Amino acid sequence: MKLKLPGVLLGSVFALTACGDDDSVSIYTHNVEDEMQPMVSDMEEETGINADFLNLSSEEGFSRAESEFPDVGAEVHWGQLHSLALLAQEEDMLGSYQSPEWEDVPDEFKDPDGQWYGWSYWYNELAVNTDIVDELGLDTPSSWEDLIDPQYEGEIVMPDPSVSGTGFLFVSTIIQMLGEEEAWEYFEQLDENVGQYVESADVPGQLAAQGEYAVGITWDQAVADFIEEGYPIEGVVPDEGVGYDLDVIFIYEGNEDNENVQEIIDYVGSEAGMESAAEHRSMVTKPGVEGIAGDEEPNMIDYDALWAAENRQDIQDEWDSRFNS
Amino acid sequence: MRFKSTWKRFFSEPGFAVAAIIVAALLIFFILLPLSAVLLRSFGVGAEGFTLEYYQQFFQHSSYFQALLNSVGVGIVTTSIVISISVPFALYVTRTKSTLSKAYRGLSLLPLVAPPFIFSLSLIILFGRRGVVTNYLNDMFGVEFSIYGFWGVVVAQVLGFFPVAYMMIETSLRSMNPSLEHASRDLGASQTRTLFKVSLPLASTSILKASLIVFVMALADFSNPLIIGGETSFLASDAYLLVTGQQNMEMAAVLGVFLIVPSLIVFLFQTYFIKDTDTTSISGSAGNQNASLNKGLQGITFGISTLMTFFIVIMFIMVVLGAFVQIIGVDNTFTLDHFSDQSGWGFIYTSVIVSLFAALLAAGLGLLQGYLTVRKNIPAKKFLEFVALFGLAVPGTVMGIGYVLIFNGPPFFLTGTVLLLVLNMAFRKIGVGLESGISKLQQIDPSMEEASADLGAKPTRTIRKIVMPLLSPAFMSGFVYTFMTAMVSVSSVIFLISPGTNLASAYILNLANQAALGRASAMSVIMIAIVLVCMAILKWLERRSNSGI
Repeated sequence: MKLKLPGVLLGSVFALTACGDDDSVSIYTHNVEDEMQPMVSDMEEETGINADFLNLSSEEGFSRAESEFPDVGAEVHWGQLHSLALLAQEEDMLGSYQSPEWEDVPDEFKDPDGQWYGWSYWYNELAVNTDIVDELGLDTPSSWEDLIDPQYEGEIVMPDPSVSGTGFLFVSTIIQMLGEEEAWEYFEQLDENVGQYVESADVPGQLAAQGEYAVGITWDQAVADFIEEGYPIEGVVPDEGVGYDLDVIFIYEGNEDNENVQEIIDYVGSEAGMESAAEHRSMVTKPGVEGIAGDEEPNMIDYDALWAAENRQDIQDEWDSRFNS
Repeated sequence: MRFKSTWKRFFSEPGFAVAAIIVAALLIFFILLPLSAVLLRSFGVGAEGFTLEYYQQFFQHSSYFQALLNSVGVGIVTTSIVISISVPFALYVTRTKSTLSKAYRGLSLLPLVAPPFIFSLSLIILFGRRGVVTNYLNDMFGVEFSIYGFWGVVVAQVLGFFPVAYMMIETSLRSMNPSLEHASRDLGASQTRTLFKVSLPLASTSILKASLIVFVMALADFSNPLIIGGETSFLASDAYLLVTGQQNMEMAAVLGVFLIVPSLIVFLFQTYFIKDTDTTSISGSAGNQNASLNKGLQGITFGISTLMTFFIVIMFIMVVLGAFVQIIGVDNTFTLDHFSDQSGWGFIYTSVIVSLFAALLAAGLGLLQGYLTVRKNIPAKKFLEFVALFGLAVPGTVMGIGYVLIFNGPPFFLTGTVLLLVLNMAFRKIGVGLESGISKLQQIDPSMEEASADLGAKPTRTIRKIVMPLLSPAFMSGFVYTFMTAMVSVSSVIFLISPGTNLASAYILNLANQAALGRASAMSVIMIAIVLVCMAILKWLERRSNSGI
């Protein structure tokens, strides 16, 4: 076999440099593949813009972008926690762009300077496996308070708040409802019942769905998805009320003049974009576009995202020292 | 003055001198530098300046230290189990005439072509808290157990790392000169005695080497702990979470150092202390066959091998089933939905491209370095050889963190490029091409090259017409190995992927983390198929080219 080694190597290097994508937009997202894939395909069809996305959990995405800044590996973050967007904004990482498509979206869902736009909001929900509950003779929990009942020992699974935004939303909601001291007491008691802390938000839903655990602390969409897929799952919105988080899209600083990037922001705020998002989310922010939840609005507490952003580090440190060591 | 003459000789052939300098620079840049960066960062250099604070934290923060203990513990347990299965398995395959043994051999190697963590997936399906088997046991005997944690990781690792140890031990048992065993039998020793006094001692070097390699692999394992480790912490997965979740590069670097040290020790030990001690017994004499095992031993080895093969096959069946049904264990209706994953196919394409280029580069550069090492008197060749081979031994997680530290900012900015993925994979495997190149070149008499030169051929012509054809088997082995491992590796590239350059293996891990078992299984099946097909093509090419020479 004849191999012209130097030629082959040289050729490969050239081929590789040519491989790098030129005009497709790079996106970070915490949206799971299942929803991001169809949403991006819809966007590509509608606008003709090519986009590549990488799925990172909220915390992962935030810390990655923070360490990469100002050379962030993506131009846009489509799907990130409101509180983390506020944090990024505070660190001057965001570019601003006033999109005409977002005009009718209420002001509470978007930044006045166009630095971030909220396209969907979602809340914590419990995924309860009805088969397992029957089998083990448990009561179906109806409140956050119920979860610390000893009957659930080892049967609860929840996302780790130091990695997962859903986990963090749950923890900061409880703190906002009960106050610091009482909340940490609650988590200590809850810890007795938690069989496993996992890394991302859908996993507790999945584990509960498969019957690995009786109860998963997760978010509304995961519950809806697993029910739709035919798992024996029931969604429970705890009586005390739930915190909710806005899911936002924003541009990283330096990319705000890129026309393709602007067009993506426009698209997400447009009728078509919101319709597409509404197929995967309970509630979207555009008036008149109805998500899966329909008219049913759960009992949402007056959740303070700004407070959550400001106290995020302290809460996570406290959590780590109590439960991760 | 010797120093001066070495350099003079070195530059007397400028072409080779330039090649040597390039190889040296690349090795330093893509292996040594990232590793040094990890080491330095663990002492705070590059962040706040030199400090021992992070090591202090490591020992104070009980979970980090616990991670070290868990990783070492898993390493020891996994290695013991793997070795005590590999030896009887290898005996069964090499010392019996059973037709089954061939099939067993083939099946036992299957884990090599799969992503390293797919056993964790099947284990959860079967033995999770409400897994298929768990449920059954619970209903029948009221036994409850959980696969998550230490033992889950051990089982997944045993299944995944078994072929590595098995292949080494099998090779050594197979290539052993049969007359030794025959002599022992003729002198009246029983077969058991022969086995324990002659055969196994002769294979002991390979067994030791295999144990060391499995130990390092288990210690540095990243993906199994991530999926099935549950609440138990391990070094590599913790280091990964520290980087991605918290950007705590310093602490991650400290964990990385605790991963490098054992691999460095093992590497030094097996490269420089136990090298070549057993080759004396290896002779090429064919024809004379090893005696078959007696009934008793055959029974035992058959039992163990069957059990192991059965387990491996079951695991694969679970993955294949998982790919073709809605939700395995819950809704077992047939579906092809899991395969219609648009991004998944894109990532598979990227993986194939990246692995091909990485394999070309690793095999090509490895051979070039081998040629320079054996035939040309280049300075510091022992050191360069050391660097290249050590690159093989470094845990992927450490290499990944090192690449993030070096290439994630000025002046290089290679993060997010396909090129960086290729370089990372290629330089981690360059040692394979180098090793096979060296051993091949040592078998080829230099007089053939001299003859070519004497007949008036230029060096480039000599290389093209004489050296390269003779080396093509070495090239192929480096190429195949790198391609295969690059396709399924995750631990180091997981740090380097970006939008548009995601890889199939990292994607499968992500799906598994999102608990999308169906699609994770489907992607695994596609990947296994692609690796098998590519290897078949390469084997065919190899056979054709060999007959052509």
